[in-house]
Amino acid sequence: MMEVCGSSNVSLREFGCEQSLLSRPDGSASFIQGDTSVLAGVYGPAEVKVSKEIYDRATLEVLVQPKVGLPSVRERSQEQCVRETCEASLLSSLHPRSSLTLILQVLHDDGSLLSCFLNAACMALMDAGLPMSCLFCGVTCAIHADGQIITDPTAAQEKESRALMTFAIDSTEHKVLMSSTKGSFSVHELQQCIAVSQKASEKIFQFYRDSVRRRYSKTL
Amino acid sequence: MKDTPLANCERDFLLKAIEEKKRLDGRQTYDYRKIKITFGTDYGCCFVDLGKTRVMAQVSCEIVTPKENRPNEGIMFFNIELSPMASPAFEQGRQSELSVNLNRQLERCLRNSKCIDTESLCVVSGEKVWQIRVDIHMLNHDGNLMDAASIAAITALYHFKRPDVGIQGEEVTVYPPEERDPIPLSIYHMPISVSFSFFQQGTYLLVDPCEREERVMDGLLMIAMNKHREICSIQSSGGIMLLKEQVMRCSKIASVKVSEITELITKALENDKKARKAGGRFGFAESMPQERITALKKDETPVEMTDVTETAYDIVQKAEAPPQTVPSPVLPVPGMGQVGLGLQNSWGLEDDEEEEEEDDDSVEEQEEKVTKMEVEQHRKEQSSGDVVEISDSEEEEVIILQPEIPNRGPKNAGSSSDQKGAAKSKKRQTK
Amino acid sequence: MAAGFKTAEPLEYHRSFLKENCRPDGRDLSEFRATTLNIGSISTADGSALVKVGNTTVICGIKAELANPTVEAPGKGYIVPNVDLPPLCSSRFRPGPPGEQAQAASQFIADVIESSELIHTEDLCIERGKLCWVLYCDIMCLDYDGNLLDACVIALLGALKNTQLPEVTINTETSGPEVNLEKRHGLQIHKHPVGASFCVFDDSILIVDPTAEEECLSTAQLTVVTDEEGRLCSVHKPGGTSLSAEKLQEFICRATARQKEIQKLIDKVIHSVKTAQ
Repeated sequence: MMEVCGSSNVSLREFGCEQSLLSRPDGSASFIQGDTSVLAGVYGPAEVKVSKEIYDRATLEVLVQPKVGLPSVRERSQEQCVRETCEASLLSSLHPRSSLTLILQVLHDDGSLLSCFLNAACMALMDAGLPMSCLFCGVTCAIHADGQIITDPTAAQEKESRALMTFAIDSTEHKVLMSSTKGSFSVHELQQCIAVSQKASEKIFQFYRDSVRRRYSKTL
Repeated sequence: MKDTPLANCERDFLLKAIEEKKRLDGRQTYDYRKIKITFGTDYGCCFVDLGKTRVMAQVSCEIVTPKENRPNEGIMFFNIELSPMASPAFEQGRQSELSVNLNRQLERCLRNSKCIDTESLCVVSGEKVWQIRVDIHMLNHDGNLMDAASIAAITALYHFKRPDVGIQGEEVTVYPPEERDPIPLSIYHMPISVSFSFFQQGTYLLVDPCEREERVMDGLLMIAMNKHREICSIQSSGGIMLLKEQVMRCSKIASVKVSEITELITKALENDKKARKAGGRFGFAESMPQERITALKKDETPVEMTDVTETAYDIVQKAEAPPQTVPSPVLPVPGMGQVGLGLQNSWGLEDDEEEEEEDDDSVEEQEEKVTKMEVEQHRKEQSSGDVVEISDSEEEEVIILQPEIPNRGPKNAGSSSDQKGAAKSKKRQTK
Repeated sequence: MAAGFKTAEPLEYHRSFLKENCRPDGRDLSEFRATTLNIGSISTADGSALVKVGNTTVICGIKAELANPTVEAPGKGYIVPNVDLPPLCSSRFRPGPPGEQAQAASQFIADVIESSELIHTEDLCIERGKLCWVLYCDIMCLDYDGNLLDACVIALLGALKNTQLPEVTINTETSGPEVNLEKRHGLQIHKHPVGASFCVFDDSILIVDPTAEEECLSTAQLTVVTDEEGRLCSVHKPGGTSLSAEKLQEFICRATARQKEIQKLIDKVIHSVKTAQ
């Protein structure tokens, strides 16, 4: 069995973000990783339907909109991953009996889509000014057929890879909030991918800090 | 989520302003908001900003069997998604009146005007044709969704390229874009919809209403026209009566607006073509405004991998190795097996057998009903000595597991007492 | 008294047990419930299995149908898993179209089938581009008491191992398929993926094989699927509180032990069916 060998050419594609670009939602952000881009919008805290009301915290709803056609089972499972990650970091008990809605629209899929969803979601939640216990970011790792780890793979690299893992990492302790994998891999490979994701997450959190600093540079 | 209602004073203010020929955003009566057209990385992906209204259109295609009454024509399919992102009032997956109206108007504007040559989409007559699907996502609703949707849809259709197909005998091959250049659709003309809103029973008229204005308007007139000044569709809604002169005046305004917008679309398409030809960067990532304070971009960043292998190795090493031996499952009857309550249990209590019996029976009974057929088939004594069967009644079979099984290893002896312990505790719960 | 305490303060009730390193049903923190497997429960299906993990009961039936392969993959058959959570299994599920949990479970099972490569879809092809098998794996929950995913994976594996496909030949004259129901053969199962689910209580206490009650009160859930070679097929953690890499490693070790246990169970049961025939 081939094992992962440490290589130096691991990198994140160029990434960028724009916040509050939509006028209607309470918070919005678009996140771009290479050619992959996602638009996120947040509404809330707002009135909640009685059937969905939770007495001690806010109800979070996540909707993933594919580019073509209607949402399918795949989108549902992505929704679940994003929702439970957001629920872990949001301090939703501060807004009991209210609704939060997060809508994620795929603008272009060129690999690492789930991690882009997570990053866009976090930026939109920040833009909406919702209280959170920590920030989170998503990192996708692919293991190439020859055992090399590729971070932030493109769609073509995803297709060639034999395993694909997406992790959500939190900003306080750099632990794993969410994990979703495809393909089979060894324990050692998993641990390496987690370690790489933790390293990569530092870069993304630095980017979060920079963009927030830039945004409020005129007001502070 | 419900939309925030409009306050009466806000309504009065808006109407008063319109009477004074003033608009909230400082536009004149016949002014359009700023239109911005950008393209995605894919062919057939187009974003349109009309002021703050934002719409995305994506064209896709697939090969389907044609409709029976039109065997030589391709199929056009339009779908307007009122995503809840655009407005909190929009709900996902529910066909609202607005979305039905918009879909119908767009179909009238683009399909019924026969602007697309559907016969050129035929691959094999009566068997295989291309279906062109246009998905339009509303991203931000600030009024006049129809005009934005029609601009986005027609631009995306012009931008779209379908893969080339080859026919050899009966086999149809679809060539990937690397092998043969994809083909653009053949489009005859470019219908564009222009909306007019009427206030005070038609006394006042505004072009390109924004969301606030749409809320206080009395009626809406939508005219779809191409640059040859041919009207493709005209629809009045809201229940106001319009005079012939009013309609004529509107169509004149529309013809001016349409020629302006057509020019803009052609220019945008040309620019994109040039950018693609030059091999430069294009697509959504490039259209992000760099100068805005809310936007930030970072170039490709390397991730250090120096001690990754070591860290991973450490974690794997430090962890406890899984036990090598596993408990043996118990097989009461062929086709059924059970593995005990967990591995190591600190509740190694000695227990009298009767309690265990009762407990096991209750679990087994449920199983028994399901597997009765199976059981009866193999009623004959099973060869392995693990099990003793006693037939208490005709209906139910009771199976008693012997607590001590001779051919088990030392590890497994522990697990059998585990079962007893757990059974006992379960028993306690029910008390 | 205890019942009242449980209803009024469910979280405190569980905490008081967890403090003593045990659980309300008498289990250790790292102990699975009794797992019962019955193979061949549905005589009309091509393969079936019924699994009980404690009170959670899941039944899986496999129906094989002949179909045309897709244009993209002419040499492959396909597997369509579906997880159904009918209202009969728990009061939390409503009738109507499948809810989020059922859809997420279906997707998870589909991912496990694809990732573990337990069946090579090439084996399901009868004639390239013309005819192939489609395996509809319908998994239905009869009683829901937590840890649905583990039970589903065991049921699926048991049912697939039990599946007997009839022999199909293609008539050269009519070029239509001819099914010989007398002659049946089993499927080639290449891997044995088994899942192990865990819950995190109060951000720190880890328990295995949660009941429905424990699932509701937990702060995070995790499912690890491993095969017999110790390779991971899925590390599925949809969200919840964060876990360190060291903690994950603990789970993985427990999951590999569980895999051995369950594979032994399945093998023995399959063997017992064969010898009894």
